[in-house]
Amino acid sequence: MSSSNAAAEASKEAGGKGRLKTASTIASIVFLVLIVLGDIWVWIRNPDDLDRLLINLLLGLSAFATLHLRLLSLASAGFAAIGAYASAIFLVKLGMPIWLSMPAAASLSALIALVIGLPVLRLKDVYLAVATLGFGEIVRVAIILLPDLTGGSTGANLSTGFPYEAMKQTRAWILALVLIGFAWIFSATSRTRTGRALRAIRENADAAATMGIDVVGHRLASFAASAFLAGLAGAFYAHSVGSLDAGDFKFSRAVDVLTYAVLGGSGVWFGPLLGAGFLTALPILLRDSLSFLKDFAQLPNIVNGLALMLAIIFMPGGFTSVFEGALGRRIEAGKSGVKLPRRKRWHSAPVPADGIGEASGGRKTEGPILSLVEVSRHFGGVEALSKVGFDLAEGSILGLIGPNGAGKTTLINAITGVIPPSSGRIVFDGRDMAGLAPHRIARAGIARTYQNIQLFGEMSVIENVVVGRHIHIDTLLPEAWLSLPGQRREESHARKEAHALLARLGLDELAYARASTLSYGDQRRVEIARALAMLTPENGDSQKSAGPRLLLLDEPAAGMNETETEKLGDFIATLKTHGYSVLVVEHHMDLIMKICDRIVVLDFGRKIAEGLPEEVSRNPAVLEAYLGGE
Amino acid sequence: MDLSLLADPVFLAQNIVDGLSRGALYGVFAMGFTLIFGVLDIVNLAHAATFMWCAFVGWLVMAVGGLPLPIGLIAATLAGSLIGVALEFLAFRPIRKEGADRLSSMISSIGASLIMVSIAEAVFGVSTRRFPSKVLDPRPFFLGGPGGLRISRAQILILVASTLLMIILGWFIRKTRTGKAIRAVSASTKASLLLGIDVNGIIVRTFVIAGGLAGMAGVLVALLTNYISPPMGSTVELRGLAVIILGGMGNMEGAILAGFLLGLVETFTIAYVPGGSDIKDAIAFLVLFFILFVKPEGLLGKKKADRA
Repeated sequence: MSSSNAAAEASKEAGGKGRLKTASTIASIVFLVLIVLGDIWVWIRNPDDLDRLLINLLLGLSAFATLHLRLLSLASAGFAAIGAYASAIFLVKLGMPIWLSMPAAASLSALIALVIGLPVLRLKDVYLAVATLGFGEIVRVAIILLPDLTGGSTGANLSTGFPYEAMKQTRAWILALVLIGFAWIFSATSRTRTGRALRAIRENADAAATMGIDVVGHRLASFAASAFLAGLAGAFYAHSVGSLDAGDFKFSRAVDVLTYAVLGGSGVWFGPLLGAGFLTALPILLRDSLSFLKDFAQLPNIVNGLALMLAIIFMPGGFTSVFEGALGRRIEAGKSGVKLPRRKRWHSAPVPADGIGEASGGRKTEGPILSLVEVSRHFGGVEALSKVGFDLAEGSILGLIGPNGAGKTTLINAITGVIPPSSGRIVFDGRDMAGLAPHRIARAGIARTYQNIQLFGEMSVIENVVVGRHIHIDTLLPEAWLSLPGQRREESHARKEAHALLARLGLDELAYARASTLSYGDQRRVEIARALAMLTPENGDSQKSAGPRLLLLDEPAAGMNETETEKLGDFIATLKTHGYSVLVVEHHMDLIMKICDRIVVLDFGRKIAEGLPEEVSRNPAVLEAYLGGE
Repeated sequence: MDLSLLADPVFLAQNIVDGLSRGALYGVFAMGFTLIFGVLDIVNLAHAATFMWCAFVGWLVMAVGGLPLPIGLIAATLAGSLIGVALEFLAFRPIRKEGADRLSSMISSIGASLIMVSIAEAVFGVSTRRFPSKVLDPRPFFLGGPGGLRISRAQILILVASTLLMIILGWFIRKTRTGKAIRAVSASTKASLLLGIDVNGIIVRTFVIAGGLAGMAGVLVALLTNYISPPMGSTVELRGLAVIILGGMGNMEGAILAGFLLGLVETFTIAYVPGGSDIKDAIAFLVLFFILFVKPEGLLGKKKADRA
């Protein structure tokens, strides 16, 4: 979904004129109040509808968990069915108390999600949707095929005497408390490193992995969380209706749930709640106010269908994208449209001494920090890399040059595990990294920037850099849920470190700008700051994180002017004095010649030369590769 | 498995005929489905709703209007093309822009499908409609006398139609100017634009063809199953998905062949496996999962570079 565009447009409009912004703030608030009032009205009219509303809100959270990561899962109806039938079986056949049977059934849903998630989540967008759609149907077929266990489609032997149904007075309060609890958990999580990691995965999963974030693990956990919530909602549903019917968990139910998240917006956790509240109340209100719709049974489905289409066409970011500027988190510049003062530009800023920790010591091995041995990578019949080998000494800067298509970026991708090598060894600090997952390689101490900038575009500059601190923050989620002070301290500490790094790169004025609004050169420097944030050891905790640090820069000066390039060269050179090892791919030969200790030249995937800068610049093979010739 | 039944040649032949015609049903449904995917890289989940509406159009023309089968088929085909073009303009074109997510169009088509099915439910109710026997004589032929091989006119019709469609469309896509342009757009929208192909025009034509296929499929399937009802699309849709993935997304001949395969497997499961008629519903999904995990490019599909 191109939520980015809509959000950007919305923000441009909201920011361009102050009056318009005020108007949109008021409109947003009015709309929110209307949703809430509408839902209260629905509740007053018919208390039974409150149950439905609360269950839908729970399903909204479930949809958020997956769609937030841009996983189009249509399995929610299947998980709800598992929750409904399992809780009834636990209750009736195993004699479990009701308050145990529902969470137990939800846990079963989550467990099944973990099992099927491993293979299913490897699939990409459309295929994932199809697979999850198939899963939902399999659940329904299985329910009908296992009458001994489930009582068939209508759960014949399970539907007798759910105690919950009788508790008309209190059950809505209990459900409301459960919902508030989960809302709290979602909101608290979004403020932690986990929430930030999830946003990073949403924005750019590959870049998130090279920041040390376990993308597969987060996806799996989110899928399981989504299944847990759907299972719980299914259990509540079955118990409040007092009977089971496999027909209640059809594909169209999964579509309802999807609609909540699409209409409400999947960027912020409360988006799907707004969507669910709106879509539950609207058909009921329409039917109450327009008498000719009274017997129109298809109304909710038509409203859902229209909402889905209109939202995806006109408001791809959902309700929350429209409100974001008015109510949500603020991203200062680019949002307000106000040009921030840019006194301290990169080329005039002094070079502060601090901001980067020392990165040496703690090595387990002697010798070069990085050794490539016969690294090859082929794509079909094309040899993009052919037996490339070289060493990188600790605390040195190695330049990697070569004509376009020589395999420079492929080599960086191979080292970082983004595209693992077909053969060969990549030894970093004595460990062979070839074939490890990108986040494991990152955690070992290798960070990179990209030739095609890969920032988390919708996040602020500072947030981008704090994502780099992910592996250095060790708050546990329950700490955040309980709002313990340690978590907040660690967050603010990480922010301070990120600010120091931004200042170091002359970017502190832009800390709260949306990353995608920055100029090309600024974005490149944010990438460097983000990579350094990952590599920088923690202050005052040198034992834990001091270790080998390797920074891979893929054309860092592209898009920069001469002054900026020179400044960048000085900066990279100072990294060396702090103990970092650097591999830099660049086309600016002046820069390469000035800062590199050694140079490796690639051509057509082969190493054609290696040596000191002056040696390489005189090498006839290199001249031929660059200038052509016989 | 009851092995004694295997020895009965008439029973075996009967199952082959039934299985192939059941498979032709899936294949005919899946052809337009897979064409849209091949060209636009989107799963048009409103295809099943188009199919269902066209079956109703055929029913209106033939059962209510009393017109003969060929006219009913043509009317349904035209209706399908019309609905297809409407979907393109209302559900797909508005979100087709640079960098748009593939999921957006899928979500949009889910919305369109929901609306179409709901309207059909409101208009026609949920009761099942059938074609009167004057449309197509429901009495089957018996080869080899009573007790021999039974084959109905609807089965013959759908078998012939699916084979013909497979051949004609294969020729069309490979040899004609429009077919070549469709293939060019499916390979790369951008390159096609640069080469001066009217991409939007080609996409509209693709929807005309795919919608028309859905229309024909609607009437043929309704004749075979003798069942017209708003949820008729969703019962075929999942099998259609299994079939287009099995046949390779975007491959129309693959869709027909995969349809035959699925139809045969289902029919043989019913015939030879105890309790098979219950299990058969799960077969399509098992096939689906197996293919997704083992060979996601499908049996006849080619690996896409971006999935390498």
